[in-house]
Amino acid sequence: MTTTVATAATPRKRQAATDRAVAENRLGLKLVAPAVVVMLVVTAWPMIQALYLSLYRYRLTTPNDRAFVGLRNYGTILTDSLFWHDTFNTVVIMVVSVAVELVVGFIFAMVMHRVIFARGIIRTSILIPYGIITVVSAFAWQFAFSLNNGFVNSWFAWLPGIQTGADATNWFGHHWPAMFAIIVSEIWKTTPFMSLLLLAGLSQVSEDMIEASQVDGATWWQRLWKVILPNMRAAIMVAVLFRALDAFRIFDNIYVMTRGAQNTESSSFLTYRQVIEQFQLGLGSALSVLLFLTVLLLAFGIVKLFRVDLARARGEA
Amino acid sequence: MRRPRRGRGLAVLTAAALASTALAACSSASGSKPEIIWYTNPDNGGQAALAKACSTSQYTITTQILPQDATQQRVQLARRLNAHDSSIDLMSLDPAYTAELANAGYLAPIPTALQTLLKLQSFKGAVAASSWDGKLAVAPFWSNTQVLWYHKSVAQKAGLDMTQPVTWAQIIDAAAKTGTKVAVQANKYEGYVVLINALVMGAGGDIASDLTKGVDAKIDIDSPAGRAAAGVIQKLAHSSAAPPDLSIAQEGQSESTFASPSGGFLTNWTYIYSAHSKAMGKDLGYARYPETVAGKVSRPPYGGIGIGVSKYSKHVSQDMAAVKCLTSPTSQGKYAVAEGNMPASAAGYAYPPLRKVYPADLLTLFQQSVDQAGPRPTTPYWSDISGALQSTWHPPASVNQGTPAKSASFISDVLHGRSLL
Amino acid sequence: MARRTRKALFGTGVGFVVIMVWCLLPVAWILSLSFKSQAETNSGSPQFLPKSWTLQNYRDILHNSDFLYALRNSFGIAIIATLLSVIFATLAAYAIARLDFKGKRLVLSLALAIAMFPVVSLISPLFDMWRTFHLFNTWPGLIIPYMTFTLPLAIWTLSAFFREIPWEMEQAAQVDGATPWQAFRKVIVPLAAPGVFTAAILTFFFAWNEFALAISLTSTTAARTVPAQMSFFVGSDPFNPPYGQLATASVIVTIPIVIIVLLFQRKIVAGLTSGAVKG
Repeated sequence: MTTTVATAATPRKRQAATDRAVAENRLGLKLVAPAVVVMLVVTAWPMIQALYLSLYRYRLTTPNDRAFVGLRNYGTILTDSLFWHDTFNTVVIMVVSVAVELVVGFIFAMVMHRVIFARGIIRTSILIPYGIITVVSAFAWQFAFSLNNGFVNSWFAWLPGIQTGADATNWFGHHWPAMFAIIVSEIWKTTPFMSLLLLAGLSQVSEDMIEASQVDGATWWQRLWKVILPNMRAAIMVAVLFRALDAFRIFDNIYVMTRGAQNTESSSFLTYRQVIEQFQLGLGSALSVLLFLTVLLLAFGIVKLFRVDLARARGEA
Repeated sequence: MRRPRRGRGLAVLTAAALASTALAACSSASGSKPEIIWYTNPDNGGQAALAKACSTSQYTITTQILPQDATQQRVQLARRLNAHDSSIDLMSLDPAYTAELANAGYLAPIPTALQTLLKLQSFKGAVAASSWDGKLAVAPFWSNTQVLWYHKSVAQKAGLDMTQPVTWAQIIDAAAKTGTKVAVQANKYEGYVVLINALVMGAGGDIASDLTKGVDAKIDIDSPAGRAAAGVIQKLAHSSAAPPDLSIAQEGQSESTFASPSGGFLTNWTYIYSAHSKAMGKDLGYARYPETVAGKVSRPPYGGIGIGVSKYSKHVSQDMAAVKCLTSPTSQGKYAVAEGNMPASAAGYAYPPLRKVYPADLLTLFQQSVDQAGPRPTTPYWSDISGALQSTWHPPASVNQGTPAKSASFISDVLHGRSLL
Repeated sequence: MARRTRKALFGTGVGFVVIMVWCLLPVAWILSLSFKSQAETNSGSPQFLPKSWTLQNYRDILHNSDFLYALRNSFGIAIIATLLSVIFATLAAYAIARLDFKGKRLVLSLALAIAMFPVVSLISPLFDMWRTFHLFNTWPGLIIPYMTFTLPLAIWTLSAFFREIPWEMEQAAQVDGATPWQAFRKVIVPLAAPGVFTAAILTFFFAWNEFALAISLTSTTAARTVPAQMSFFVGSDPFNPPYGQLATASVIVTIPIVIIVLLFQRKIVAGLTSGAVKG
């Protein structure tokens, strides 16, 4: 189909232009088709199926007990304190880790931006947490905080509330310490991503503007807030959006570190547990649908809040 | 030009698909002499040795290992059996989910002759824990029970007379007085429910009854017995005798606490003897599981393994012959010697080498404990009941006199799909 | 002025050290744990370095057939998923960067939506579907969803790279008589190769890392990948987690990551940040 375009190109220019446009349109669609099909097969179709199953009482090991229950599963979930507690946990993890990462990531980015020596070394060491398997990072931190085998208790025993020996601090024995350990592992693993996005933003702030403000007598703090940050707005928004949605889906760390004990479950973990461990296909599907809607809502909210045109931000006008 | 390229991509995909199905087919089709694949719970090779010993000229038994905890074992087996996976023949099943798998129709019925034989040979508690709908669903292989392990020096220092039955209150006070710990299993997992069940039954109650009614079973935990059980956990959790890792302690952690300098008392399975008798020597004491209520005979936990045959196995009759060999009293005895997990039958206890390894009074204590054990309720909904108990009774420090009532209503909400678990 | 520069330099130096320690400490920790013996971790070993160094964990893990199967699955699945994903993404990104067609924005939005998709909400329906299609516990059962979730990142990275490629060169090739397809293959492909390579690395990282689908859609060593296998790790002691062996497995699966990072750090950074902040 492409050869016709080439031969028809010379004689009638107008006709050729539309022909060309049609062919280009067709070629474009053909080129994106495989990717679109693969993306839809695994997301759109299963979501429709989840929508359907969510209307049933359906348990894998008691198949004879299957019955249509309408929206009752949704009612059960939305009036359940566990669901709201887990949603709260997820939001706490998301907000705390993104806020800390934004600050730490920015400092990392500043250092990397300024560093004139050993750039390869710092880039490598920052990329290792990024590339490492989340499960591995979770294990490393779980062992670090472990009661009998962790270095955290012995290194930080000088802090009030942290003890070693027979009454050692049991990080995974209480809600907030366990949440703390989970958040630390999440922050460690994902700060590099944040800082690299911020570094890219930082490198686009023109040095001239910074120097000009310096000449005007602006302090370091003023330069940061008046010149650097406003010029990095797009980069910060994209980084926050991606990390926030990523943190909201937290699952691996919790699975490895607490298995949801001490009420440290996230929304994703709750959904997983209903479907896979409780065999509750009906309730689990309803949770899946709700989780999907929550993420959609969240994405919409962040985009509206920050007024980012993502297509623009990605460089596609 | 483009098409062949995409075709190649698809070809890779198809090739991968074919390769993995071929792999699956390979493991089930095994020529004339069938290979019986036995999925075992993790151990130190005792089941693999039995598999070798019970292989005949008719079939070979090989083993595959299941995940470590009962919940994960259940998830893996149920999902594979639901997918009609024919590469599972025999399974070492925990009593916690035996009824669920049997009720879902995943287990091949045991022939009458073998049923009769097994019922005759096994302990009553073992038969009860292995049955569903009036029939044996799995063949009792070994029976586990817990006893009270203690440091003789600590009991002596506390002035506790261990020749008489002791109560939980007594040992908690004794440990507090001597600055030692009472180690139990109280992580948020099945082992904690084992403790709760033993405490409730020790006070003369039960967690649930009328189990054949499925989701409409009667939930009995909101009772004086339930509150007595809550009282024991409450007392321990708020005592200085509670180990720091109480709320995350499983068998291994509680065992470490017991072996450490602050170790005093421990309730744990029979394997403790073979694991610690050498290091602790004469200081290792053992007694009947503690009483919940003074003067009321304790009901020690029941655990262990039954061997089930998958309905989707391609050679059920050979599987049954294999089960018969694997659960014979001699096999049970051999396994007990190798792993420290005790037989499910009196005949198994009579295995002479076993009597050489263990002191006679300990074997008697084990047998008595198994015989008078209080098994967990057998119902296909046990995972729901157990899960609901875990989320209302955990962490142990949160348990109070209102916990049994709270857990009773939560269990029934979960069973009826009114609450998330 | 000089003092200020020295101060800034000092601050940067301190920051440099802090970053290194923070990023590498947990890695050093698992490395150290992997040399501690089972006996040492069972009795409690809170100090950072082993009391006595042992290679036993490495010997054990190299004889652990389940782990080796998982390693094979991880490599196979990650490589096939990367290959297919990059091929599909290259086609799509080329179309997005170079051609004018209806629904371009729709494709981009779809990719974005999928990048944000909560993977866990797919577990239930996919589990059901894969059982029906007999894809449960097979390689394709993981490869297909991995492609889905790596395509968005690959498409973005690639379309950003493709936009940098001078458009005139393709036109010039077409004027010289090449078809658009030939122009794509002969001119764009060599120019785009570094971008494709970067996309492949990022895709590989995702597939190598993925956990939620790996534990839900597999049940045996026929398809279980390393992250999933590690959560099922069983040591010789049924009641104690094998700390040392888990750490050893962690070290082994981190080696490929470290090698890739060491060799291609510049490309990875470029890929992660490409197009992210334009506009």
